[in-house]
Amino acid sequence: MKVTLEVKPRRKPYLPIEAEGIMPRTFFEGADGLTVYRGNKELALEEIFSVAIEGEAASVDEVAIEILGDSSRIKRIGEYMDGGRIHIAGDIGMHCGNFMSAGEIVIDGNADAWLGREMRGGAIRCHGNAGDYCGAGYRGEKRGMRGGTVEVLGDAGDFAAETLAGGTVIIHGNAGDLAGVDMKDGVLTIMGETWRACANMSGGTCYVHGTVHDMIPTFRNVGRETVGGEVFTRFAGDIANRGKGTLFIRNYKYMD
Amino acid sequence: MKHYDVVCPFCGCLCDDLEITVENNRIIGVDNGCTLGNAKFMGKERLSSPIRRNGDGWETISYEEAVGYTVDMLLEADRPLLYGWSGTHGEAQCTGVHMCELVGGIIDSTTSVCHGPSILAIQEVGHPGCTLGRVKNRADVVIYWGCNPLEAHPRHMSRYTTYADGYFLDNAFRERKVIVVDVRKTETARVADEFVRIKPGGDYAVLSALRAIVRGKGDMVPASVAGVSRSQLERMVAMCKDAKFGAVFFGLGLTMTKGKYKNIRNAIELVDELSRHTKFTITPMRGHWNVYGSNEVFTWMTGYPYAIDFCRGIAFYNPGETSAIDILARKECDACLIVGSDPGAHFPRGCAEHLADIPVVVIDPVPTMTTAFANVQIPVAVSGIDAEGTAYRMDGVPIRVKKVIEPTLPSDSEVLGDIFARMKEATGYD
Ligand code: SF4
Repeated sequence: MKVTLEVKPRRKPYLPIEAEGIMPRTFFEGADGLTVYRGNKELALEEIFSVAIEGEAASVDEVAIEILGDSSRIKRIGEYMDGGRIHIAGDIGMHCGNFMSAGEIVIDGNADAWLGREMRGGAIRCHGNAGDYCGAGYRGEKRGMRGGTVEVLGDAGDFAAETLAGGTVIIHGNAGDLAGVDMKDGVLTIMGETWRACANMSGGTCYVHGTVHDMIPTFRNVGRETVGGEVFTRFAGDIANRGKGTLFIRNYKYMD
Repeated sequence: MKHYDVVCPFCGCLCDDLEITVENNRIIGVDNGCTLGNAKFMGKERLSSPIRRNGDGWETISYEEAVGYTVDMLLEADRPLLYGWSGTHGEAQCTGVHMCELVGGIIDSTTSVCHGPSILAIQEVGHPGCTLGRVKNRADVVIYWGCNPLEAHPRHMSRYTTYADGYFLDNAFRERKVIVVDVRKTETARVADEFVRIKPGGDYAVLSALRAIVRGKGDMVPASVAGVSRSQLERMVAMCKDAKFGAVFFGLGLTMTKGKYKNIRNAIELVDELSRHTKFTITPMRGHWNVYGSNEVFTWMTGYPYAIDFCRGIAFYNPGETSAIDILARKECDACLIVGSDPGAHFPRGCAEHLADIPVVVIDPVPTMTTAFANVQIPVAVSGIDAEGTAYRMDGVPIRVKKVIEPTLPSDSEVLGDIFARMKEATGYD
């Protein structure tokens, strides 16, 4: 089954649309009467999107959703997704792939904040940049993302992989401030630069192939180690937190 | 006529020992207040009736018309923002929450631009706090981090810390040690026993280093952390460990700088670590007199302390997304009611530009910078001067603010009550 949703122009284009119903299972089970919200107004899906559905599916994994047009303010696409595929041709709004457990989301453009928040499984690939809190947790939650993979081919904002508790986050560009802060488990890889990586980390592993600026002063330098042909400095910490995390860094600078 | 034990409705100290002299229903004298408090009581720039924008100017309208405009604006909006609330009393804040739920809007207080990060941190790791009375009577080490009470909360040190007597201290002034941590030498830093000057953005690193030193891992801390020598950090830890009772106070220098709530979390975890050796507590230096009241009221009514989105009929909380400054910067609301706050003076330019593009009603006794963006302003009595109600001090103690003169204008509660009643009527809400 192929579902094509093209975003229509809106009179108030900046007001976010909350569309957590847009995920493969909804269309697999029959999306008649599906609604989305513009603020406090509940609207039929067709008021916001031109909808085209072709073919049938024997399982949720056979449902592919294609989102076209300006979807930069459409939030919660793929929330609780448990199979199938979503392809977003442009940018996507906040909370894309929240809590997803299976399936795949591909974003050709940029993703706004909280991409893959508390994700359990599946894969998200964002070809542009991701906003703050990519692969992070909900407010006050001790454990964030727990499984699956988030891959960002551009840069990520601040607090990427905050409270990471499982799964893999890969940022091919730079990650902002406090990437991997409070992480507990899982693997975070940053190919570019970052700032204050893995502060207060208690477990898990982080690789930074570029430079960590303002390096947290409470990681113990364990020595040089070669991983995948690259030489890193290995740190253990965060000692301030009795942490048992591992940090592999190519270059680092303290704020001294 | 003299009123005694009057509460000052200016900053989060809520000093309750002011003496106000009134003649012919006018305040002519204020005793015991600081300059900030005195100025509030003696202020004269009040609006006397509601005003509505009319082309380039303003016209006077009745309360009836102003309330009608507000009701229509809120009911027509898809995503109204109800912002402010720190400059009014708890009873008005309650009505605000009811209104927000009815219209399906977003309610946020000035918390999101001051101590919101403190609450986010507390939600992660808890709050080892206490009342100011306890600090006054017991604390022999006081740390002011990223705050400057001598200028922002002028009576804090004389009522609760450095210059106050303490029941369990023989000679409080001599026994109490004050440590100030800041990026510049403030007035408060000048009276400190120890001034720790850190590089801007270095708070988190310094807090982590202190935690490691408290845990006996000082050997691995670099010789200098964000401009502070390891020896000074070790001296600071020794002072803290020697304390019988330590109290940390922190301000926007910690909440609103790089790292925001993670700075506060780190500070709380330092306090936690110190409490394995002695007794330590931590308290936010809240600015607006009733900002903490808004957190209390919102929490008991919605489960969340600020930045609450009712658009979907249930409360959703996600500061950074549902906080006023983010909503305005992203142009994500289509009407705004502002109560007892002045975002026009404090918010970034992009936010003010959006306010200029949407209908805005301001409920405030005086013309402010935000008036420039308003379509209608409704003047009200000033809570604590000609209206009374409940407020929460910075440490969470509720205090009833009194009125000292008879009102000539309705209070926030009355105006909001009218708006809410008209909304219920219009929607058939029971
Ligand atoms: S310290 Fe604050 S509450 Fe006390 S008098 Fe001054 S402004 Fe008023």
